[in-house]
Amino acid sequence: MLEGAKSIGAGAATIALAGAAIGIGNVFSSLIHSVARNPSLAKQLFGYAILGFALTEAIALFALMMAFLILSVFQ
Amino acid sequence: MPIFHHFDENSLNSNQTYTTKSFTSKSEPEPTTTMTINDYAINPSIASGAQAQALNERAVELWAGIHDVLGELMVNRSPDEVLRAAEAVHESSNEIAFLECLLNDLHINGVESEAFAETLFLMGQAPTIPSPLKQFSILPLIPMNIGHLYFSFTNPSLFMLFTLGLVLLLVHFVTKNGGGNSVPNAWQSLVELIYDYVPNLVNEQIGGLSGNVKQKFSPRILVTFTFSFFRNPQGMIPYSFIVTSHFLITLGLSFSIFIGITLMGFQRNGLHFLSFSLPAGVQLPLAPFLVLLELIPHCFRALSSCICLFANMMAGHSSVKILSGFTWTMLCMNDLLYFIGYLGPLFIVLAFTGPELGVAISQAHVSTISIYIYLNDATNLHQSEVVIYN
Repeated sequence: MLEGAKSIGAGAATIALAGAAIGIGNVFSSLIHSVARNPSLAKQLFGYAILGFALTEAIALFALMMAFLILSVFQ
Repeated sequence: MPIFHHFDENSLNSNQTYTTKSFTSKSEPEPTTTMTINDYAINPSIASGAQAQALNERAVELWAGIHDVLGELMVNRSPDEVLRAAEAVHESSNEIAFLECLLNDLHINGVESEAFAETLFLMGQAPTIPSPLKQFSILPLIPMNIGHLYFSFTNPSLFMLFTLGLVLLLVHFVTKNGGGNSVPNAWQSLVELIYDYVPNLVNEQIGGLSGNVKQKFSPRILVTFTFSFFRNPQGMIPYSFIVTSHFLITLGLSFSIFIGITLMGFQRNGLHFLSFSLPAGVQLPLAPFLVLLELIPHCFRALSSCICLFANMMAGHSSVKILSGFTWTMLCMNDLLYFIGYLGPLFIVLAFTGPELGVAISQAHVSTISIYIYLNDATNLHQSEVVIYN
């Protein structure tokens, strides 16, 4: 029963990745909009976009870490 | 309640191997005597009683000990099964060394020990899947304990020293003979890139101060950035240990920097530093609540960059390990011709290792920038900088 509960917990924790996916799409959509407005700043804006992507991905990885924790730590 | 092997004095005195029946059957266990080669190996002359007795007693103690430990580890099995498992794994042998080794293994490693895996295998069940968090275990290489304090030289210490050595070697070889070429080769370019990035960061993030004062932060920023920039990718070396994937290590870095930033904020601004908690243009009745609330994000800054770095590294490596485990299974699935379909799993492993390296490097950048944004906040409080376009 513990194994079943662990699997359910890990699956439920992975649902949080949906929000992170929307966030990353948002970041790059803003990049495309802003480069379309002002193509001369493309390099700098790409740098900011990568920074935003890394921070948003961090949240996704928090959720994934909780999933692994639930799946692997309890005996 | 553990069930002990039923033994009587006769079996203690004899030198013959002994197998028991289940205690719950409530029948008189008949000792089935089998003289194995072990009897002769341990004790050449069977006639010498005392030594034989001692060895046999010790063996029986060890059997009972193994039975106990297995009883604790196999939590939801019947006592019958535990007894059968214990017998299967120690095979009623008389070799003290083997039994002690088994017992130690079970005690120290518990569920993850090889003895336990063998027990499950002998019982006909699949062994437990090794946890993907096993790669993060810290092993003391040179144990040094002062009282209860743990000063051992551990796994992470070794790899931190190793990375430090690599960085120093790199810088040494690039700057040898008075400074290298005017047209830089690849290594020199790398060092110049790092050396160029740091004052850039200082100028961008920490505005509003004179150049002299700003350059005082350069060494600190260089060390923070180099720490993550070299240690994150070092974890991608096969069989190495990822230093920054431990919360304690990144916590030590970011918490100490946070304390330094707060101290420096007080030193530079005096008690005016506390005005940082109160944004401009706030009505007076709202002020106390806002100040109290603002303390919480301020204290969270100590944790935010370290959690970011730690969670990225740990989750990234755990997921790479799990997915690479799948590709290994995929590779070995075909019994007849190993490695015949090796391109598919190879590309899968590539697809996971590449972004992992990218995450490693970008997380170094992100953590350094976030720490030094806090530094900017501490030195400049809420003053807006005047940006001059060249």
